[in-house]
Amino acid sequence: MGLINEDEALIAAALKGSAYAWEKLVKRYESRIFNYGVRITGNTSDAMDLTQEVFLGIYRNLHRFRGDAKFSSWIFRIAHNKAVDINRRKRLTTTLAHTNNDEPDFLETVAGDNRYEPDKKLDDQQANSRVISMLARLSLEQRLVIELKVYQSLTFEEIADMQGVSANTAKTRFYTALKKLKTVSEENNVLS
Amino acid sequence: MSCPKTQHLLQEYFSDGLTPLAKKEIENHLNSCEQCNDEFKFFLLAHSNMKGWKDQSVPHWDRGLELFKREHRSEKESMGFWGRWQLVPTAISFVMLCVLLLNVSVISGERGFFVSFGANSSNLQLQYQLAEIQEQYLVEMDTLVNQVGEWLDSNNVQVLQVVMERTREATMENLDLIYAYFEQQRLRDLEDMRISYQELVDSDYETIRSLQQLARFVSYQDDAVR
Ligand SMILES: [Zn+2]
Repeated sequence: MGLINEDEALIAAALKGSAYAWEKLVKRYESRIFNYGVRITGNTSDAMDLTQEVFLGIYRNLHRFRGDAKFSSWIFRIAHNKAVDINRRKRLTTTLAHTNNDEPDFLETVAGDNRYEPDKKLDDQQANSRVISMLARLSLEQRLVIELKVYQSLTFEEIADMQGVSANTAKTRFYTALKKLKTVSEENNVLS
Repeated sequence: MSCPKTQHLLQEYFSDGLTPLAKKEIENHLNSCEQCNDEFKFFLLAHSNMKGWKDQSVPHWDRGLELFKREHRSEKESMGFWGRWQLVPTAISFVMLCVLLLNVSVISGERGFFVSFGANSSNLQLQYQLAEIQEQYLVEMDTLVNQVGEWLDSNNVQVLQVVMERTREATMENLDLIYAYFEQQRLRDLEDMRISYQELVDSDYETIRSLQQLARFVSYQDDAVR
């Protein structure tokens, strides 16, 4: 409850023109949105584009936010729409479809991004690269279901609402996504 | 061959309100069904791999602050807060201009105010009137400072009220933080206002002084002609 309350206080203050409150609000969520972006787009530069677009969307619509929903759900609804937009723009699915044959291209991009970082982060990088290579096998729709379920701990009802489908469809998508992960991992031995 | 229950069990397992009883039932089935057991092993491994994600730090960015400040500054300007106050010294200057150039004397008597032009006002009277206006100036300024203080206070109270209304179980710590911020902001705004107002007043006094010299010169000329 504490989190929700502070969000609402910051929103009220930001709407009154407090830049301090706005910055604090952004700081509270930027990491969650950015990491969401990295998992969904597979690279940090698209993730940063997504982050900026999401917060612009939040800023433009802040006055429309009603306390009846959790602010985090509201943010992830915006993030969801932006992810779909960006994907449409970049035709990400087409790119990802090609990666099924070899190791995905953007994995190299991710490794490239971290080239100059110290070794202590190597384990983190490997863990993250593995996640991204798994998610890369999925369609955006499936990736989003996995993201929202596994990382954002949303209910199937919330996911369904966000994607404009029934809860059963959301459940089926989740299952299909996991099945697909299993199939590709059997082909590529990703998880062994 | 696959077990028809796999999908349902898996969805249940990741469902929102998984009760311990339901979990137990799923586990019982897994113990007796090799198919489901196999599938679950993979899914749980995949799940734990995904949970192994380590948050990457966000690259530096401006957090939309530039846009925010730009839009909120122009909003404040269009509210015309300063625009209104800035008229006050100008109006006072105008009155003084009349006093000095037209040599208007305002004499308050039992029947009210008498306004006369020229004739009866001496240089001494002029000095007296100027001193009076100066006095008014200071009073006016204090009033303004108080009014602005109140305005800012009520603004803060308003914000706090909104916060209180929208916050069902606000922790005192949060409110303290926000209040401290507004208090700090209020003091800074007050100080800014005081400085700006003082500058306006100073520039008006420059005008008064030169007008005063002009008036002295005019009355000296008058005396010389007589
Ligand atoms: Zn079974």
